Amino acid sequence: MPPALEVTDLSTHIKLSRAVVQAVGNVDLRIDEGETLGLVGESGCGKSMLGLSILGLLPNGGRIVGGSIKAGGRELVGLPERELRRIRGNEVAMIFQDSLSSLNPTKTIGEQVSEPVRLHRGASRREALERALEVLELVGLPQPRERLRDYPHQLSGGLRQRVMIAIALSCEPKVLIADEPTTALDVTIQAQILSVLDGLRERLGMATLLVTHDMGVVAGRTSRINVMYAGRLVETAPTERLFSAMRHPYTQALLASIPRLESDNTRALVSIPGIPPDLTKPPSGCRFASRCPRATRQCAEQEPPLSGDDPSHRFACWHPVDGPEIRTPTIAVRERSAAALRAASSTNGHHLLEVVDAVREYPVTAGTLMRRRVNSVKAVSGVSIHLDVGETLGLVGESGCGKTTLGKMIVGVEKPDAGRILLNGAEVFRLRGRSLRRVRRDLQMMFQDPYASLDPRMRVQAILREPLVIQDVGSRRDQDRRVRGLLDEVGLPANALERYPHEFSGGQRQRIALARAVILEPKVMVADEPVSALDVSIRSQVLNLMKRLQAEHGMASIVISHDLAVVKYLSDRIGVMYLGKLVEIGTGDQIYRTPAHPYTEALIRTIPLPDPVAERSKSDVGIRGELPSPVNPPSGCRFRTRCPRAQSRCSEEEPLLRPFGHGHMAACHFPLQPPAEGNGAGGAVAAAPDVSGAAEAAT
Amino acid sequence: MAEYAPLPDVQTLHGTPPIGPTPEGGEVQVIASGWKLALREFLDNRLAVVGALVLIFFVLFCFVGPLVYHTNQTLTNPLITDLPPGGGHPLGTDENGFDELGRIMVGGQTALEVGFLASFIATVVGTLYGSIAGLAGGIVDNVLMRFVDILLSIPFLLIVLVLATKYSATVLEEALILGSFSWLVPARLVRGEVLTLRERDFVYAARVMGSRRSRLVVRHLIPNALSVVIVNVTFQIADAILALAYLGFLGFGLQYPSVSWGDMLGNAQNYVSEGYWWLVYPVGGCLVAVVLACNLIGDALRDAFDVRLRRR
Amino acid sequence: MIGFVIRRLAVAVLVTLGIALVTFLLLHILSPSPVYAVLGAKAEPAAVKAWNLQHGYDRPVLAQFLTYIGNIIHGDFGYSYKLSQSVTALFREHSGRSAYLSGSALVLSLLIALPLGIAQAVRRNSIGDYTVTSLNFILYSMPSFFLGLILIQFLALDWGVFPPVVSDQITTVWGAFTHPLQLTLPIVTLAAINVASFSRYMRSSALDNLAQDYIRLARAKGLSQRAVLTRHLLRNACLPMITLVGLSIPYLLAGNLLIEVLFNYSGIGLLFYTALGNLDYNVLLAYVIAGGILTVLGNLIADVAVAVADPRIRLG
Repeated sequence: MPPALEVTDLSTHIKLSRAVVQAVGNVDLRIDEGETLGLVGESGCGKSMLGLSILGLLPNGGRIVGGSIKAGGRELVGLPERELRRIRGNEVAMIFQDSLSSLNPTKTIGEQVSEPVRLHRGASRREALERALEVLELVGLPQPRERLRDYPHQLSGGLRQRVMIAIALSCEPKVLIADEPTTALDVTIQAQILSVLDGLRERLGMATLLVTHDMGVVAGRTSRINVMYAGRLVETAPTERLFSAMRHPYTQALLASIPRLESDNTRALVSIPGIPPDLTKPPSGCRFASRCPRATRQCAEQEPPLSGDDPSHRFACWHPVDGPEIRTPTIAVRERSAAALRAASSTNGHHLLEVVDAVREYPVTAGTLMRRRVNSVKAVSGVSIHLDVGETLGLVGESGCGKTTLGKMIVGVEKPDAGRILLNGAEVFRLRGRSLRRVRRDLQMMFQDPYASLDPRMRVQAILREPLVIQDVGSRRDQDRRVRGLLDEVGLPANALERYPHEFSGGQRQRIALARAVILEPKVMVADEPVSALDVSIRSQVLNLMKRLQAEHGMASIVISHDLAVVKYLSDRIGVMYLGKLVEIGTGDQIYRTPAHPYTEALIRTIPLPDPVAERSKSDVGIRGELPSPVNPPSGCRFRTRCPRAQSRCSEEEPLLRPFGHGHMAACHFPLQPPAEGNGAGGAVAAAPDVSGAAEAAT
Repeated sequence: MAEYAPLPDVQTLHGTPPIGPTPEGGEVQVIASGWKLALREFLDNRLAVVGALVLIFFVLFCFVGPLVYHTNQTLTNPLITDLPPGGGHPLGTDENGFDELGRIMVGGQTALEVGFLASFIATVVGTLYGSIAGLAGGIVDNVLMRFVDILLSIPFLLIVLVLATKYSATVLEEALILGSFSWLVPARLVRGEVLTLRERDFVYAARVMGSRRSRLVVRHLIPNALSVVIVNVTFQIADAILALAYLGFLGFGLQYPSVSWGDMLGNAQNYVSEGYWWLVYPVGGCLVAVVLACNLIGDALRDAFDVRLRRR
Repeated sequence: MIGFVIRRLAVAVLVTLGIALVTFLLLHILSPSPVYAVLGAKAEPAAVKAWNLQHGYDRPVLAQFLTYIGNIIHGDFGYSYKLSQSVTALFREHSGRSAYLSGSALVLSLLIALPLGIAQAVRRNSIGDYTVTSLNFILYSMPSFFLGLILIQFLALDWGVFPPVVSDQITTVWGAFTHPLQLTLPIVTLAAINVASFSRYMRSSALDNLAQDYIRLARAKGLSQRAVLTRHLLRNACLPMITLVGLSIPYLLAGNLLIEVLFNYSGIGLLFYTALGNLDYNVLLAYVIAGGILTVLGNLIADVAVAVADPRIRLG
């Protein structure tokens, strides 16, 4: 029996106005019926183009230049468009990453799901709608009948993704290509969608090609994995084999560079230096050679073929490695860090930074003639945190939990509606004019989007000098010296000074942004999703750098991310936020090993681990349901609508933070751990004096 | 980018030797400076280059041309009216006996002057107005922009024509009435741009550094809003020259003996029916060519600036 | 939805008042009173004063404005002393012909521009696309009367297919409708200029939508190119066009004016042109204000239409 999908020696080129991108080069893959194949690689490695090539949906200028694609034994390359159309959506279906732009905004869900059925099955409108209802039920869309008449924008991202899966499944395809199906979603929703896909594959016996950049996503859901780098397949192996006995240095480094929850965060991540090659002029030898520690002259000159003794495990490397790397260097902290720390510690009894009961709400207006405020988006609802000298606090939570707003309030870009923000015991944003400007020096921020945070019309020199100029620090010569020094520290060549931001890659821009945030030697740096826009291999570079700079400059930091592993790697303590509330706070180990709040526990459980054994042993998807609207958050405990332990008390009474150990607090009526007795957790109470009353009230 | 010295050895740049063969943060890919990239994109657009050349040609033709090609443009000569092309008058003569080619040069001068001056007025006023509204925000912005809404709802050509019944005798007057109703579009554009820029991360970053408002405006907002303004200027020139043509055609152009291309087309209907084609098509062609050139340049500039910012 | 419409209406009324005020003040500066048009340029100062007093032109400007607004609400746009007729009557007599000209030109241009824009977007950067884009650019850069002149030269004078001016026998819309040759040139000229700008927008709107993932998903469903375009692209790409058509009313009015003058077609454009020559300020004032009201109405209708057509706005 022929495999459901077989690709042999496929090459795809994309013609741009001035160059040709050799997006996919000589790639092979095969998927059998009922099997899931993972296709993993970083952005620009050609994995998406491979998926699009299969269905003949390449963008303008894209063209298959060689090779063959067979679906169920039938050759697709060179098939006339008419024939190909019969296969698309019928035998081979596809789902995309962005569910909002992938659904037609002006057509109802019902119309869109039933469309392929009418097309391929020749069903009547009514029959097709019945079928649509059936598949919508299959993918777990709540109240599918009511949803048929909804428009895409009325659904949340997770539900829209279910609709897109339903569209793909409506004609029971033999092959499903899922291109980053969960990348745009929060982890809790991601887990739900992945399990829907997995269940359907089992039930319908489809062959699935799961295209993703996330090693965790493929670990538990695939039987084989293909790793792509710069348009080439570099390694293909059964899933467990790939994780435990990889042979290609890229696979090895990629896995080692992912921060993990269970690992020791005093050790640096393995990082892959440099950036991937430009595919308009790919190198003649091995494409990974310029970033590979094992590269030799042979690698630079000759391209290694995909080979291997075992036909099920093949790789393209002249000097293969043997299994995962063990070497994890500790962080190189330079001498002066300790001195810097001491110099900075003059807190006279105050916390360095304290946020007390911060509230921020964005008005929602309505009204016929006069716009009046009818409600508000509760972005942050009474959050208190503190930060000590040299310490790093991580804030983690799904989108809409208020973590970014909280970060912006701390640096004074947003004003709290209520509550106070204290630096060394003084309320900073009550200050005005010169004294406020002076204080701002101590509170700096690093932004999420490296493309938006640097002024496109300034050279790097000017960008880095700007903080010094504004704060009037040192003479022009001092400033230049500091800029050069810091540029070197963040690992960029000196010729970067004369360049504009658009000439840098995303990772390099994030380095510049980091340098800019650090150059004033602030006491506190807030980093908002510092690496979420970056590729895995670049991510670890920036994480290591941040860790090193934190230590060297003795800065206290607040790191905001949706990725618990990233936060845990960078931070000493972690605060977990949900829908505008801080639900749990404690050290990294407390949070990870003994979470008290069901949300924290679920969050940890839903994170896909780059470890096939651990992933497969997971029993359920973690959290059910969708995030409620922050305009009308649930009464009592805001998590209760999705909590497995919720009881009637949770809707009536809002749980307050109470201690569970030294510095470990959580806000839950029915926690997973027994709370600490009385005032036993004195440290915690002292750390957040406003909570002590609450702790007493709760016990 | 030949002006930069070759890269020093990576090892000397960093305190510690890098792990791989490349510097830790990777090499900086040399693409081109922003302006150069925009310029390259612009030059790549062949239509735009043609547009620029056409515009330059007409500026030279109108302002330098009369120095080379001397004609009588002040005294009417009834003996040589409405001559077809030929015999010392390559484009014939008009009903007053003026040489048509020379007339086109003179008329072009005023057309270009009015176009440039009106667009200058509109751009300066509009940019200031729009940036004030965008920066002030709140109620000031609301009031200022409602005023713009109101003025924009008055049909441009109609109100300008009404004003032209009294004020259109000189280049300055015409430029003023055209300018006084065409600053609205740039005002809106600039305000919109300022509003989006204000929410951009790099502006937040500057605020976090403690930047004063004035510095934000001068260093970040204005340079970034500039491309929108520059693009708009070229469209403004095109529109002003077109509007001038309409005024001339309807008989509300400059006062004799001053003349613009529009005025020369004022009797075009009669010329056509009487077969005096040389009094219509050459001057009309020049007008279309200049307007077209401005539009092409504007379009190409917009694309060029877009590419620069979109490049990632 | 109803709240939305009411709110928009309220804004529209305010903007209309603003337009009336600005225009009124400007015209007042140009000509404080039509007295000299009535009594002649050499009228006695005493007679002038008496006339002004009698007709309320001695009162403060704002008071005059309020009276004027009050009259407008009752459908009275003032009196043309030059034509000895009320402006409202003049408009009533001429507006039908203008509406016919503008309306048919608008419909014709949309019928051409929408498919043309989509075709260009689908075949972008082909020779056909370049040709149409270049033609559009030229048309867009051309004064409408100049295009009209060229058409007259070839189609009317040289080849004699159409009359060079509209016959003055055409006095009613029905007349215009039953003598299609008479109005072909004016309508085509006006439509051509609109096609240039409409199809440019349509092309870029279609391009924007073609780049969206939903088009790719529609193709991944196995739909034919034609079905993708008609079922998915068309409606979404046309949404911005609704706004554009709403915004194009001032240009239609201006176009009307020029084309009516060129072809000597007696609509309100020509009426306005005559008033410009006569300095008949009451007609000018009324026409500019009416144009402003039409513009506001056009925007209002476009806003509501977009809201109806786009579920993202309709259902919030």
